Amino acid sequence: MNEFDVIVIGGGITGAGTARDCALRGLKVLLVERFDMSTGATGRNHGLLHSGARYAVTDRESAAECIAENKILRKIAPHCIDPTGGLFLTLPDDDLNYQGTFVEACKGAGIDAEIIDPREALAMEPSANREMIGAVKVPDASVDPFRLCASNLLDAKLHGATILLYTEVTGFIMEGSRVLGVKTLNHKTGEEGSYYAKITVNAAGIWGMSVMEKAGITVGMFPSKGALLIFAHRVNRMVLNRCRKPANADILVPGGTVSIIGTTSTRVPLEECNNPQVTPDEVNLLIGEGVKLSPTLAETRILRAFAGVRPLVSSDNDPSGRSISRGAVCLDHASRDGMEGLVTITGGKLTTYRLMAEMATDMVCRKLGMHVRCQTAWTPLPGAEGHSFKETADTIWRTPANKPEEPDIYGDALVCECENISVGELEAAIKHLGAGSLVDLRRRTRMGMGTCQGELCGCRAARILAREGLGDKALSDLRSFMAERWKGIYPIAWGDALREAEYTQWVYKHVLGI
Amino acid sequence: MRFDTIIIGGGLAGLTAGIRLQEEGRRTAIVSSGQSALHFFSGSFESLKDCPEAEELFDRAGVRLHNLPGSRRLLPGGAFREAVLSLGDVSLLPGEGPIGKKALIVSFNGYHDFFPELLAGALEKDGTPSIQGIVEMEELAALRKSPTEMRSVNIARVLDKCPDKFVQKVKELLADGVDTVILPQVFGLDGDEVPRAISEGLAPLKVIFVGTLPPSVPGIRTQNMLRRRYERLGGTFIIGDSVVSGAVHEGIVSSVASHNLDTYRLFADNFILCSGSFFSKGLHSSPTAIEEPVFGLDVEFPEDRSLWYEADFFEPQPYMGIGVKADKDLHPSIGGEKVTNLYVAGAILGASKDGKYGTGAGKAIKSALAAANKILSL
Repeated sequence: MNEFDVIVIGGGITGAGTARDCALRGLKVLLVERFDMSTGATGRNHGLLHSGARYAVTDRESAAECIAENKILRKIAPHCIDPTGGLFLTLPDDDLNYQGTFVEACKGAGIDAEIIDPREALAMEPSANREMIGAVKVPDASVDPFRLCASNLLDAKLHGATILLYTEVTGFIMEGSRVLGVKTLNHKTGEEGSYYAKITVNAAGIWGMSVMEKAGITVGMFPSKGALLIFAHRVNRMVLNRCRKPANADILVPGGTVSIIGTTSTRVPLEECNNPQVTPDEVNLLIGEGVKLSPTLAETRILRAFAGVRPLVSSDNDPSGRSISRGAVCLDHASRDGMEGLVTITGGKLTTYRLMAEMATDMVCRKLGMHVRCQTAWTPLPGAEGHSFKETADTIWRTPANKPEEPDIYGDALVCECENISVGELEAAIKHLGAGSLVDLRRRTRMGMGTCQGELCGCRAARILAREGLGDKALSDLRSFMAERWKGIYPIAWGDALREAEYTQWVYKHVLGI
Repeated sequence: MRFDTIIIGGGLAGLTAGIRLQEEGRRTAIVSSGQSALHFFSGSFESLKDCPEAEELFDRAGVRLHNLPGSRRLLPGGAFREAVLSLGDVSLLPGEGPIGKKALIVSFNGYHDFFPELLAGALEKDGTPSIQGIVEMEELAALRKSPTEMRSVNIARVLDKCPDKFVQKVKELLADGVDTVILPQVFGLDGDEVPRAISEGLAPLKVIFVGTLPPSVPGIRTQNMLRRRYERLGGTFIIGDSVVSGAVHEGIVSSVASHNLDTYRLFADNFILCSGSFFSKGLHSSPTAIEEPVFGLDVEFPEDRSLWYEADFFEPQPYMGIGVKADKDLHPSIGGEKVTNLYVAGAILGASKDGKYGTGAGKAIKSALAAANKILSL
């Protein structure tokens, strides 16, 4: 019952991808996540599917990985990807000579980069800065990381994996220099558990550092905070980048109904990783730089500010973190630290999660003496068109584009009007994706992420949770959901954002009495 | 065009002031964008226990108000609050003890702006067991064809035409021991005859109406009825327009310009500004300042923006207390200079600064009456 081939720690995209890969290769998998899926860096980034162009000049290897994975994900996860294309703009402040170097480097990495006339670029992307002096078109895209993570977890589950959310690893079960499994605490029930496996994979992102300490192992990590702002409209059609060496606030990504500008890079203490804050200086910097890419941002309402923490790995010989690789790192703690049965997969990027999962699973299989080929490069995820799990996915991801032709008059009623989320979609997330709270629903369906920030859908969804038998905590859950929404709003609450916030105050305190 | 008084804003404060002045034979105009905070009115005049002057004025407009000292009201999230002066279809409940022996909570399939499950939990705690029932009517089926049409106002449009049938449907849902029926406030867009007919139709059962998510049917009804009263008294209601600027010279407003009237200006002896707070655009905020956009009236606010907010959503938010500075006669100032024929009323004053007028809808009518009475006394 409690014995598995492999235990994966972490329910972000890396853990989800690894659990899926292991399950597809026939392993008996357990995934444990201390909070909810996509709680860490997976749910706190641009939602950019890199073409690799950003790294072409500075890190050709990463760039080549990105473009290869970019092409794969378009095939296996089309329901998570919006193929927007991207532009690298040279602005009057930037050196136009860099463009040649950039395009050459892209070509060297296998990235299709094409110099186009600024006028043509403006026609393709009317929101771009008219003063640009150069433009390069690249195959960047926008990706929904929540849906991608959920798809991976779902597929792992459909292949027999056990997924335990809100279950934290409190320690390792060890025998000499071998890890035999993990001890856990379920935060919902308070139950403690012990699970055994031949191999345990640490995919806990920045938190992997403290997880590994429980096994007496030091993994030098560099918690790098990135702050971002969400604009209330999708102002740009294509991903906009600056054609210069990677710097702060130089990527604007359209996603769903919004656009996201980011990011910054600041080392933060480990304690801040659970609750990274966006400072007023960061807000000012992001707006100031964003306006250079797309001047219309100056007049666009900001929806919220948020930050994530990148799990960068310090080089083993460089604990100061000066020469940090942004590539994926897969550590076999048997050869590195003399600890058998333990593997760490970290670093990397959302775009290369599948490759990271493949690296980790290859290592797991090698250690188990198995020779099974990785299938994830061509096996579509649930929800992808033509996939055999289409039926499951249709119930779970019923977007206006793929919903069944026969209308379901009750299931189609909209709960979240900003993001077009129906009753049926929420019910499916509760039944099939383990959502037990409003925040869980938000991560699985995008409910509450739109313009009104949960003002109307929060209480509608609380009622659906109550109807599905999760009613005892419905009100306190609604309160914490609204509190969580406000946390990202008040750093940018002026203009229309403040108008909406005032309206929300009136509705909750005076009309609903919550 | 010249009026005795021009009122900027057609919400609760503007309509109250307009009716009061028209009743005394003054020639007034109200410039209204059309929407107001009445569209999400709870039906209760927060902070106001009673106000005979307003009750009589509203009664003449056909809007019945009531309150019963020591009674409670039930809010849609399941909370009980002390009752205040309220619209007739806000049910006043006994101050303590269960509200009934057993309640039937009625809703509609596909309607998600009313929360029977949350109410049931609250009633249970209060000592009243409940059952839930769904009213199915072919008249509602047409609404459900679109996933966004099942909203309070649309349902009211349908049900206002067939209250008897609705009553019959509710009776079919009754079970043994039910003595109380809880209904969403989706009745009576044009008057309170329909909610009254439903209460009477279900007698001797006790009927309790509970609010819904906006738009608020009782709020829109109140706006419609007050506007009708105002126009019948001869007031000029300019709808779909907004005042964009005013000509002020030596502390006197001579005229205002509106968006639609272009170069044509509106002149008056007195002006009342009740353009609301942030939501209604009576106040405008930028990253560095909070301003009153029509006249540039003095507004007091902390320079450090972080002081505008409380990090906890459920704590009182300081920005809601920020408003136009006004003296005891509700005169605002520009650059410290008092504007003597301009009055400010309603939410533009900020929520909590002035205990004299209370907060919310209660503050709107009290300050509007005070401004109108001041003008009448001149």
